[in-house]
Amino acid sequence: MRTDQLSATLAALADPTRRAILAGLATSDATVKELAEPFDMSLAGVSKHLKVLEGAGLISRGRESQWRPCHLEPAPLRDASEWLEGYRLFWDRSLDQLAEHLKTMKRRKRR
Amino acid sequence: MKIDDSSTTEPVLVMQRIFDAPREDVWDALTDPRQVARWYGGLGFENPVCEMDVRPGGTWRHVMRTPDGSEHALQFVFVEVVKPERLVWRNADRGATLGGAHDNLMTVTLEAAGRKTRWKLVVRFASMADREAALRIGFTAVLTEGTEKLNMLVRTV
Repeated sequence: MRTDQLSATLAALADPTRRAILAGLATSDATVKELAEPFDMSLAGVSKHLKVLEGAGLISRGRESQWRPCHLEPAPLRDASEWLEGYRLFWDRSLDQLAEHLKTMKRRKRR
Repeated sequence: MKIDDSSTTEPVLVMQRIFDAPREDVWDALTDPRQVARWYGGLGFENPVCEMDVRPGGTWRHVMRTPDGSEHALQFVFVEVVKPERLVWRNADRGATLGGAHDNLMTVTLEAAGRKTRWKLVVRFASMADREAALRIGFTAVLTEGTEKLNMLVRTV
């Protein structure tokens, strides 16, 4: 994964409102107005968040219609998720092996 | 995946275990390079180089060989050393050897529980590109925090 893309994804996901927006877009495309409804936030505020998400490549916006519906671009999220999962697996394996190692040390002590 | 309950905004990955060994033994297994070489990476991994200078500012030089034979040079710096309960280290090169961007801070706390030891590893992910954002990454939360729809989607794409 490209470093700058991962950083951009992480930074964009830092905000709970942006995460909620992404979750909302997971089922269907939506306009700014529709996305703003669940939040106590101005359209301008939501637009600001959308710009960050768009800049990070996590969403795209329609060009044709006046309302420019937002569309989730899942690839960067999937990449970040895979990267994190790899990290978790690394430690899971290591800690399994550490448990084995500690067992061996214990047996040696008993002898 | 576990998220630290105390923090919904920080980029944390938390891994907890209970080891059937006294805390001093777990501490030794974590800080004695000969022992670390035996478990780091997990089954099938080898660690031909593991040199640790376990004190604040000391370095941990490491080469890990994956089961397919490729070798990865890693370098860490110890940030905090409180024997036998707390060890903190981070990537010495800000993660450059891992493909960049992964300026991670690892914190292990060991708590004695009778003759067993409670292990808690907290990994804080930081980003080189945006230090300020890095401190506020809620990234892991996306995968668990009531956003199941998104989670499902991420899994299926």
